[in-house]
Amino acid sequence: MHLERLWLTDFRSYRHAEFAPAPQGITVVTGANGEGKTNLLEAIGYLATLRSLRGNPSESLIRTGDGAERAVVRMEGRREARRIVVEAEISATGRSRAQVNGQALRRVRDLLGALQVTVFTPEDLALVKGGPQGRRQYLDDLLVALHPRHDATIAEVERVLKQRTALLKSAGWQAAAGRGLAPDVESTLEVWDAKLAAAGDALARARAGLAEALGLRAADAYRRVASGVAHRGRDVVSLHYETSWQGSLAEALRAARGEDLRRGVSTVGPHRDDLRLQIGSTPARTHASQGEQRSLALALRLAGHHLVAERIGSEPVLLLDDIFSELDASRAEALLACLPSGQAIITTAGHLPVEAVVAAWARIEDGKLLA
Amino acid sequence: MYAAAVQDLIDELGRLPGIGPKSAQRIAFHLLRLPSHDALRLAEAIRVVKERVSWCRRCFNIAEGPPAGEAGAAGDAGRPPAIECDICRDERRDPTVVCVVEEPRDVVAVEKTREFHGRYHVLQGAISPIDGIGPDNLRIRELLARLEVEGVKEVILCTNPNIEGDATALYLASLLKPLPLKVTRIASGLPVGGDLEYADELTLGRALEGRRELVD
Ligand SMILES: Nc1ncnc2c1ncn2[C@@H]1O[C@H](COP(=O)(O)OP(=O)(O)OP(=O)(O)O)[C@@H](O)[C@H]1O
Ligand SMILES: [Mg+2]
Ligand SMILES: [Zn+2]
Repeated sequence: MHLERLWLTDFRSYRHAEFAPAPQGITVVTGANGEGKTNLLEAIGYLATLRSLRGNPSESLIRTGDGAERAVVRMEGRREARRIVVEAEISATGRSRAQVNGQALRRVRDLLGALQVTVFTPEDLALVKGGPQGRRQYLDDLLVALHPRHDATIAEVERVLKQRTALLKSAGWQAAAGRGLAPDVESTLEVWDAKLAAAGDALARARAGLAEALGLRAADAYRRVASGVAHRGRDVVSLHYETSWQGSLAEALRAARGEDLRRGVSTVGPHRDDLRLQIGSTPARTHASQGEQRSLALALRLAGHHLVAERIGSEPVLLLDDIFSELDASRAEALLACLPSGQAIITTAGHLPVEAVVAAWARIEDGKLLA
Repeated sequence: MYAAAVQDLIDELGRLPGIGPKSAQRIAFHLLRLPSHDALRLAEAIRVVKERVSWCRRCFNIAEGPPAGEAGAAGDAGRPPAIECDICRDERRDPTVVCVVEEPRDVVAVEKTREFHGRYHVLQGAISPIDGIGPDNLRIRELLARLEVEGVKEVILCTNPNIEGDATALYLASLLKPLPLKVTRIASGLPVGGDLEYADELTLGRALEGRRELVD
């Protein structure tokens, strides 16, 4: 799939902007720090995921300064033979709205699946180096790209966890005050546990299946990204999804209930799981070099990209935000060499460190996007 | 800062659901600009509704009672409501089937389908620990009290098809399980995460027809 044209209104730093990247190959967007390069990619990312790719709340996407109440992002593009026009409106006060090919959607979430992107940012290093949260998010984003329906499962797990935690906390206070557990608490907890067990188990299974599908692709991508860099025996990577419980989640929740009540948190569930990454025979998080970690982060993104492309039969749009500022020449070269053939939009404040065949250039000056 | 009276008005409006400080301000200034009699119509409508309308003592739907001053006029906290809603008073309705909903507006939604001829029970909310709402804060005790007295044979759990509505339905199902009743939950087909209020009549009608028994 590819974007033909993008329009922004009151999105981040842009009052109005229009952007027409090359349909195939690399479009490079240049501009000094703070000009709005990441903002541009964030707008495209928003249409695909309905989230800020920096993880900021949606309201922060609306341009500040003169009281704009909504931001609008609109794109025209193609998905194989089909033409797609997607528009999303982010509102500070009322309900947000979205439409696809002129059809207003009943729920904004129904937009998911219309556009897929693969995003590379310097912060991706945290996928390998950071805590499990980032790795779960990586899997969940891919799940939604593959099957938009998983969005509902993910949202359900989050909501049920919130409710369960709220109940645990209030019950904990009652217990601490020496009032013991109200019978009500016991039976409502049963209900939340049943819901968490069902949704949590579904999510964990989906993630585990995904991790398995990614494994070979990540190993393959790693070998190519790290080619010439990796030592012998250290070019084998493996992925393994690790649940925070054994056996059935329903039973684990029951077993953990006492401790959960004492601590006022849910100690087992998909929100405590991790995607274990290994290079050679050691954990990548604690034993790999910075360079190896960077290569693995790239490999994870590439693996996701290839998987989505295969499964949905159309290549996601690649968004590379300032990625070459962090890579050494050999990794940068390797990445460019294994970049898939579709549309790629690359931002940079400086030069591309390596020679690349560029299909189109765009420049941002004084916050204005010039084609 | 505004004059105290204006600030009071903004504060009151801001306490209404779905109205943030900015909207509260906008509405307040709109009211200030209106001719007196137009603005006072709103005040009058609020006063009348608080005087004449309260909860049905049977199903906790909205019920219109006798005008103020007459015996049995119900309303304020503490005094038990003494009136019944139109549906509970309608003898053609089947008293053996009770449809349990969260809010009075859901009664309206189900009524529009014309698929349901029993009576209702309005919980006045759903279980939501985040909002500090547990079973005790809902009209669940009142529901249990009705079942035997009214000879109810089937309870349809028609809470919203979202997480809190589902949890409430599950809770009620386990509570009702020991009783000699059929307990059903409306079928999905309703968008998950949705509100009954927004479901179109056809979808909701079909969901009612396709209701199923809840195991556990
Ligand atoms: N909601 C908003 N309204 C108006 N301006 C915003 C908003 N959010 C961010 N900005 C502005 O956008 C600019 C940052 O843009 P962006 O992050 O895209 O820069 P960049 O070109 O990627 O810079 P760098 O090269 O440093 O990464 C900042 O000047 C910031 O003040
Ligand atoms: Mg940037
Ligand atoms: Zn009634």
